[in-house]
Amino acid sequence: MKEHIEKRAYHVEILPPKQDSAKLDADLAGFAEKYQRVMASGFCACITDNAMGHLAFQGPEVLEELRLSVPPGQVMIHLNTFHTKESLDEILVTCRRQGIRHLLVISGDGSDRLPKLQPADVGATDVEAVTSVELLRYIHRQYPGDFETGVAFNPYEPPEHEFEKLVRKCAAGATFVITQPVIEKHPVVDQLLATTTLPIVLEAWMSKKLHLLSQAVGYEIPEDTPFDPIATLRMLHQTYPACGMYLSLLGFKTQYDLIRDTWSVPTSKETR
Amino acid sequence: MRIVVCIKQVPATNDAVIDPETKRIVREGVQAILNPFDTYAIEEAVRLRARLGGGVEVLAISMGPPRAEAVLREAVALGADRGILLSHRAFGGSDTWATSYVLSQAIRTIGNVDLVICGKQAVDGDTAQVGPGIAAHLNWPQAALVSAVREVSTQHLVVVRMHEDGHDVCELSLPAVLTVVKGINVPRVPSLKGVLAARKSEIPVWTPEMIGADPAKIGLDGSPTRVVRTAPPPPRNKESLRFTGTAEVCAGGLLRELRKRSLL
Repeated sequence: MKEHIEKRAYHVEILPPKQDSAKLDADLAGFAEKYQRVMASGFCACITDNAMGHLAFQGPEVLEELRLSVPPGQVMIHLNTFHTKESLDEILVTCRRQGIRHLLVISGDGSDRLPKLQPADVGATDVEAVTSVELLRYIHRQYPGDFETGVAFNPYEPPEHEFEKLVRKCAAGATFVITQPVIEKHPVVDQLLATTTLPIVLEAWMSKKLHLLSQAVGYEIPEDTPFDPIATLRMLHQTYPACGMYLSLLGFKTQYDLIRDTWSVPTSKETR
Repeated sequence: MRIVVCIKQVPATNDAVIDPETKRIVREGVQAILNPFDTYAIEEAVRLRARLGGGVEVLAISMGPPRAEAVLREAVALGADRGILLSHRAFGGSDTWATSYVLSQAIRTIGNVDLVICGKQAVDGDTAQVGPGIAAHLNWPQAALVSAVREVSTQHLVVVRMHEDGHDVCELSLPAVLTVVKGINVPRVPSLKGVLAARKSEIPVWTPEMIGADPAKIGLDGSPTRVVRTAPPPPRNKESLRFTGTAEVCAGGLLRELRKRSLL
């Protein structure tokens, strides 16, 4: 992950087609186009795992079906706890076969149709429910050396609780951190940077609809709040020069070309 | 060996609306899904096929309008070998008895069927009658509300059947009919490969003539029951409370509120 930041490679979120898509071919084509664009830019494509609990196809199977190549270090797969053990292992084996090393391991959002991993599935005997911590332990125990795993950090949660969880996630094998969307200088992000030596990637919210973040940040953002994602991205680079950036909800048609010059070449002291 | 799974396309639960004139569920213009209980039936059939090894075919069948083909493709994506749609104007208006007659006739037509599996009920009608109805029409043994298949061979099954006071362990000779409950398995999510293959799968449409159905036993005329009145359930009292403050304060407030309402 450190090399991603050193190379100033953006992490660009891409959602795979949904299971109930009425235009699957078009969605697959759209996915391929976005993916290839990210690859051509030398960035890292971050493929979500049933985001918001909506049933979608898995990133590795989509890459395989579309025969999209996986350049080393340019693909990150989200992996959450809503799988059967069989599908979890299938995803991990497929990732390994495709040379995908980076995983963002999260607890994730469930739904009626998504099975939840059970503690016994991941060899956990001391918990009632599987979280990202148990999943991390399982991945590193069953697939030693195969994956570099990152975890989520939410600066809007009570910090003492979030930092305590981060300690457990790191002990379970996490080697990088990706935050929830950051839209301004934030004291908990400052604290995170001050207390960990792990590479930190900030999620940059690329939608103009800032109010959609209300639930994530825990306070009401009015619907008409003006928001300039590109300007905010530049501000985040200036404020947090040592951090990587994870671009969520990036508009490929309207924004992609605009992000090219938003991250200038680093000075040596900026890299962590 | 051949396993038939009977499935149904139902309105997405939150969208279900009753036509005040016909007393029937309005299906036009409403999002349609595979009956959730049927996903367990499909999964169990696919698992039994794996347990039995080679030579087992899993077929999904459904009676419904042409658009019900979608749930058959979903069944194929979930692992069924093929699907058959029973669709004809004459099937329209069938109650559970006529529907189970149509399905039983299809099962006879398919031939060499050893096991029929249904979800315990459809979430639109909630009758839980079609599975047992099929068994009655075929005069086969049945076990309803099955939560586990402990043993399976080409000759017999040992299943766990749920009831209000516990469960029974039942042995059935094949052919037989099962209806299965939610806890029997964890249904898989279709893979992209499965969905793409299912799109290419041929779904034949069978008519009453093709299954040798007696016209007097299907549709409205063949249905001994009629829905004469439908009423929505009384509205539930929904109330939301928002707790503010620190996590401790919120947790304390929630705890007090739950105790006040005797929920803890």
